[in-house]
Amino acid sequence: MAGLDFAQLVEEYYMPLYRFGLSLSRKESDAFDLTQHTFLTWATKGHQLRDPAKVKTWLFTTLYREFLANKRRAEHFTEAQEDAQFVKPPHVSPSVVDAIDAGIVQQALHALDDRYRAPVTLFYMQQHSYREIAEILEIPIGTVMSRISRGKAEMRTKLTDLAAVDVRKVISMPKEQRP
Amino acid sequence: MNEAEARAILSVYRAGESEIEDARFEEAKRYAEAHPEIARWWAEQKELDDLIALKLVSTPVPSDLKTRLTAWEQRSSRRTTWSGAALLLAASIVAAAIMFSSSRGPFQPAVSMADYRDEMVSFVKVTPKLELESSDLSRLQDFLAKADAPARFNIPKKLKELGPIGCRVLRFRGHDVSLICFERAEGKLVHLLVIDAAAVAKAGGANNPQYAAEGEWATATWTDGGHTYLMTTQSDRALLEKYVSSS
Repeated sequence: MAGLDFAQLVEEYYMPLYRFGLSLSRKESDAFDLTQHTFLTWATKGHQLRDPAKVKTWLFTTLYREFLANKRRAEHFTEAQEDAQFVKPPHVSPSVVDAIDAGIVQQALHALDDRYRAPVTLFYMQQHSYREIAEILEIPIGTVMSRISRGKAEMRTKLTDLAAVDVRKVISMPKEQRP
Repeated sequence: MNEAEARAILSVYRAGESEIEDARFEEAKRYAEAHPEIARWWAEQKELDDLIALKLVSTPVPSDLKTRLTAWEQRSSRRTTWSGAALLLAASIVAAAIMFSSSRGPFQPAVSMADYRDEMVSFVKVTPKLELESSDLSRLQDFLAKADAPARFNIPKKLKELGPIGCRVLRFRGHDVSLICFERAEGKLVHLLVIDAAAVAKAGGANNPQYAAEGEWATATWTDGGHTYLMTTQSDRALLEKYVSSS
C-alpha cells in the first residue's frame, strides 16, 4: 500500500505483535516466527489493503490467523459453545497486587484457557477497542466482551496463585538457616 | 440490578467505547454512583487493570527481532523493484509453465531453490535463537523428531566432526525446516537446514551439490533420501566444500 513505509510499520507494531504472539503461543521462538510471518505477509499482500486505518487490525488478524493455522496443524481445535454472560471478578489482595510483575503477568496469561487468552491479551494491550478485538479475532463483539469478562476473572485467580508461589519462594529459607 | 450483577458488568466496562451502547452499563454506572463501596471497588479494578497493562507492555522483546525484520525488508524491496513489463513476462512464464505441466499431470508449484536459499540464509545471518542447545547430535535429532520436523537425515561426516551446538525448527511456506548449527574452530557457525524434498524445487544429488554465494555466505544444496539439504556458512565455497564432503 502506497504511503505506508515498511520500516515505520515495523517500528510501530513489532513489539505489540511479538507480545501478542508470545501470549498466544507461550513460546519465544514461536512469537518470533509469528511476528516475522506477519510482516512477510504484509510485504507480499499488504498492498491489497485499501483502508490505511485498518493496518493495525490487519497485522494483528494476520498473526492470529497464522497462530490458529499452526495450532490446527498441531492438534484438532474446536470452539466450545459459551454463554454471553459477564462474571464478577474475584478479589485480589493488596499483597498479590504488590507481587505482580511482567513475568507473573505472562505466566498468568499463558495459564488462561485458550479461548480467553487472545481477547484478554488484546484488552490489556490497551491499543484496541472492543470492536477492533472482534475484527482481529473474527468473533462477535458480545462474545469478545463475555470472554474478556470471564478471562479477566480467571486471570485474577491465576495471578493470586502465582503471586502466592512467588511470595513462598521469597520467604522460604534453606533448612539449615531456619531458626 | 443487584451488587453482583453491577460488579460483573462494571468489570468489563471501558470508557471511550462509543460503539457500545449498552443499557446495562448505564444502569451499572448509576448503581456505582449510588453505592460508594461499589464505586471504590470499581476504581480499584481499573487501577489493577492499568497495572497489569503496564506490566504486559514491559515484557521484553528480543533485541534481534527488529534487525531481522528490517533485513528482510531490504531484500524484499530489492525484489519488488521489477518493472511492469518484467512482471508481465514473469506472469506469462508462470502461465506457460502451468499449461505445459498440466499436459503431463497435475501442476505442483515448487518454490524455487533461490527463494528458499535466500530466505534461509537471511534467517541465519543474524545468529538464530536455538530451541535446544546441546552438543549431543542424537539428542538434537530426537528433539526434532518430537517436533515432527525432519530429523532422520544424513549429516556429512566432516560436518559432524565440527560438533553441533544446538537446533531449532523453522517454518518455510507451511513446511517445517530443521536447523542444526555447528561451530567452526574460529567460532563462526555452519548451519545445516533440512526440509522435505517436495517443498522446494529439486537440487543436485548428494554427490554433486549445487554451490552458490549469498553475499559473504557460501551455500551448498542437494537432495537425498526425500530431504533437501542446505548448508551455509560465512566463508567461501572452498571451506564449505570441505564440510559437505562425506569422506
